[in-house]
Amino acid sequence: MTFNLSMSGSDLLLLLPEMLLTVWLCVVLVVDFAMPRLPKVRLAYLSVGGLATVLLNLLWFDRTGVTGTLFADMFVVDRLAIFFKILIVIATALVILVSVDYVRRFRFFKGEYYFLILMSALGMMFMASANDLLSVFITLEFSTFGFYVLVAYLRDDVASNEAGLKFFILGVFVAGLLAYGISLVFGETGKLVFSDIAAAPPTTGLIIGFLLIFGALGFKIGAVPFHSWIPDTYHGAPTPVTAFLSIAPKGAAFAILLRMFLVSLATLKPAWVLLMVGVSILSMTYGNVVAIAQKNIKRLLAYSGIAQVGNILIGLAAGTKMGGDAILFYLLTYLFANLGAFAVVIAVGNLIRSDEIEDYSGLNRRSPFLAMAMLVFLLSLAGVPPLAGFIGKLYIFVAAINEGLYTLLVVGLLNIVISMYYYLIVVKKMYINEPIDRTPLPISTPMKAAIYVCLAGTLILGVYPQPFIDWAVSATLMFSQFTAPAALAVPPTVLPFGG
Amino acid sequence: MGQYALLYILFAPFLGAIALLFVPNRQVLQVRLIAAASAGISLLASIYLFFAFDPVKGGYQFIQRFEWSKELGISFHLGVDGIGTPLVLASAILLFAGVFVSWHIKDRAKEFYIFLLILAAATIGVFMSLDLFFLYFFYEMSVLPMYLLLGVWGSHTKGYLEMTDPEGLKKRDSVGFFFNFGSNSKEYAAMKLTLFLSAGAILALLGILLIYKFSGLHTFDILVLREQAKFSGNLATVIWLLIFFGFASIAPLWPLHSWSPVGHAAAPAATSMLHAGVLMKLGHFSIIRVAFEILPDATRELMPIAAVLCVFSIIYGGFVAFYAKDTKYVIGYSSSSHMGYVFLGMAALDYISLSGAVLYMFAHAMATGMLFAMAGWVYDQTHTRDIPSLGGLVNRMPFVAGCFLIACMASVGMPGTVNFIAEVMILVGSWNKYPFQVIVAVLGIVLTLAYLFRMMRGLFYGPMDSRYSHAHDAVAMVDRMPLLLMIACSIIFGIFPGHFYNVIRAGTDPLVARITQVVPLAAGNGDALGVTRDELKRQADNLSSIARHEADE
Repeated sequence: MTFNLSMSGSDLLLLLPEMLLTVWLCVVLVVDFAMPRLPKVRLAYLSVGGLATVLLNLLWFDRTGVTGTLFADMFVVDRLAIFFKILIVIATALVILVSVDYVRRFRFFKGEYYFLILMSALGMMFMASANDLLSVFITLEFSTFGFYVLVAYLRDDVASNEAGLKFFILGVFVAGLLAYGISLVFGETGKLVFSDIAAAPPTTGLIIGFLLIFGALGFKIGAVPFHSWIPDTYHGAPTPVTAFLSIAPKGAAFAILLRMFLVSLATLKPAWVLLMVGVSILSMTYGNVVAIAQKNIKRLLAYSGIAQVGNILIGLAAGTKMGGDAILFYLLTYLFANLGAFAVVIAVGNLIRSDEIEDYSGLNRRSPFLAMAMLVFLLSLAGVPPLAGFIGKLYIFVAAINEGLYTLLVVGLLNIVISMYYYLIVVKKMYINEPIDRTPLPISTPMKAAIYVCLAGTLILGVYPQPFIDWAVSATLMFSQFTAPAALAVPPTVLPFGG
Repeated sequence: MGQYALLYILFAPFLGAIALLFVPNRQVLQVRLIAAASAGISLLASIYLFFAFDPVKGGYQFIQRFEWSKELGISFHLGVDGIGTPLVLASAILLFAGVFVSWHIKDRAKEFYIFLLILAAATIGVFMSLDLFFLYFFYEMSVLPMYLLLGVWGSHTKGYLEMTDPEGLKKRDSVGFFFNFGSNSKEYAAMKLTLFLSAGAILALLGILLIYKFSGLHTFDILVLREQAKFSGNLATVIWLLIFFGFASIAPLWPLHSWSPVGHAAAPAATSMLHAGVLMKLGHFSIIRVAFEILPDATRELMPIAAVLCVFSIIYGGFVAFYAKDTKYVIGYSSSSHMGYVFLGMAALDYISLSGAVLYMFAHAMATGMLFAMAGWVYDQTHTRDIPSLGGLVNRMPFVAGCFLIACMASVGMPGTVNFIAEVMILVGSWNKYPFQVIVAVLGIVLTLAYLFRMMRGLFYGPMDSRYSHAHDAVAMVDRMPLLLMIACSIIFGIFPGHFYNVIRAGTDPLVARITQVVPLAAGNGDALGVTRDELKRQADNLSSIARHEADE
């Protein structure tokens, strides 16, 4: 294979969002140590401003339909990549907004925090564009590096250190699995680009290789049986980092999973559908059943996250373009509902210094706004109309039933009832139980802004989802070609400047 | 107005709920007025709807249709027929009455009204949805506010397991006991209700998704599905059972009833009213709208299931109500007993009995709404619902006692109230097919008489405990108005049922003709049939030509 590393101006254009973000994170770092007196809050706004420019850039790409590949097909910019990049950028901006109050708790490295968040975001943006196994490995490790540091950011906190260590050791182990899987696949096929592998015959080595890669990605998304790090890491990590961890890496990993299963392995679908069905059923059931017993809201959301991933995997098990659409839409709904729920957890945690569900008693009396917001987010996660989560779940179920996955459908539906129970337990604490301490809880402006954005997202996606469904449908257009294995993964290069 | 009536009825409460978000918590009067105004707009529009509905034209009227999602085949499709119209009216009346019944709620009044308005609007939404997706959407949306309304503003249940018969022997609701995991708290009741109804909804959703998949039409639109979707054999049976039992759990059909009395008892008065008055009818209505419309053949074959289970509903509910000591349990079990009549009317698949069932839903909504409103009033005054410890309240609250008597009479089905007409229609209509059930139902009426008057005596007559000497009557207009409104509806429609009857027949006639494939012989009363007869004749011609084809082959 040959690498063509000569780049023209129009090639560089494809990298523009990443380059913008790279420049910006350097600016944040430089400003941080060049102006030590600057309030760290300004750095947060600076980062959000940078992300806004990146978002505008991505929206421009999305509107004008800029697509193309770079570095011998290693890096691809297509509608799917742009969709996931937008998702990641929005998540990052929201996480930074909800971090502002929390960062005051750190004794040092307050500025570097924003730098690390942006760096992880950059890594995940590359992940969304990864089009061959080598770039999968590089981008995955790149994005995880930032998290290794971030998870252990509370240096004096034992739980945070333990979380960091657990995450690191398992992460490194998984990196080994991933590298081994890639080497097996490469050894069997001699190819790395997803669309090239599609033509390869299914040998034992290839299958084992892909299973290992799936294991590594399953670790990223936290699907059973690769979930064991999730509860402790979510629990111990600083809450904004947990919020970030709960959505952005999952989104990026699903971008890779979609490319891998719907492009490389499109012909082997009958074989991996069973794998997906199994993992999905296990994740949903395990996550929901164990969540019932949780006393800590972060752990509850961790287990609910495992269950949500099981739900998303239903779409992958469907293995059709519609399944892909449903996954994209579901991730959007999950982004707002889950980040919103974590935003409330952070807001409450900052004020009462506790994440125990018991301490949410009477939240409605102390802060009607936070309680109402939490109610909306939890019900959206549970899939109650008219909120976004309901449409997401229905979309996934419709995709599954079109493929005749009745078992999965029944398990998924039953899990809705189970999940409703533990979400309602939190609602019960907030609304029905009386508070011990009745002092009102004030909320800072950036936090309020983030919660409003999440509320708006959750309601709009639930009541008027059509534009977003259209967006998801157009983002996965490439998969509709993959009825025949010989088709190309990458659409021909189209640039606005004609070159 | 005119064509957009449905939008006013549906969105006035929603917009009211949104408006309430922006009212400060302390402005309680403003909160109440906004709630009353939005409920009032809804009520006025639904009265207009009821009288503007053209029974001669029949079919679905006031149709509104907006594309919602092409990918999933969903459209926001609203419309009412002769079955939906009375239920929309009942919901609007009960919402308006409910706003006034809860006038004195002080704790977090704003949030109470927000959830009450959402609950009522979602219920109304089900009655006018012509799209399976939105039917489910509103259905599930109406369940969740119940959790908070019960849990926050409800009251704990006392002595649920303790029921005594006249000799003082302990009795208990064995089915309810089986499902009762040990607690009488309102939180428990709220959770039980929500999970039961969600589980039922999930069954129904599975049925709906199967309809979507196997119709092959890529649409959730009921009007398209009823014309074009064909299901047969085991598939139709499976879908029908899922839909039937999914929706019957909210109806509540025995043995799926155990959440209902617990929920009724824990709920605040206005919520019980809406719950018993209209929320339970969502079950019957959805079965009619989904199973009857889309799966007529399976309905014809499988509806005897309902005819069997409704006997248990009627008798079981009646007996438990007789032994219960808690006022709201009595009314709750009487509701679940009376819902058996609706199932009987539906199961007979007869023109008269199905119309009677629809009319009974409206009549029961009024009667049980009154009973719950007054049980709530008595509880607010005395802080107990324990019948043996109450008594003699007629001296303290003559107006409420008088209304209670009327409500009991309505509930029993005294001539002059709309309940009487509905009951007679059900009994007469089902006699040919299910004589045994009709006899049981008549015995059930006797039972109703017994337990309601036992409760009446227990509450209002006999010696009064001095603890309750501070209890006072409903004097203010806001307190009397909701009771008078419901009594008026019950009696006015009981004396002048003509238009009501025509509206309902306009909805039920084509449906029954479709299911039973028999043209009504006694096509008596009035305009409704005069014109639907053409429709029926057309259908009969179709059927006979099909039969001829089959005979030729």
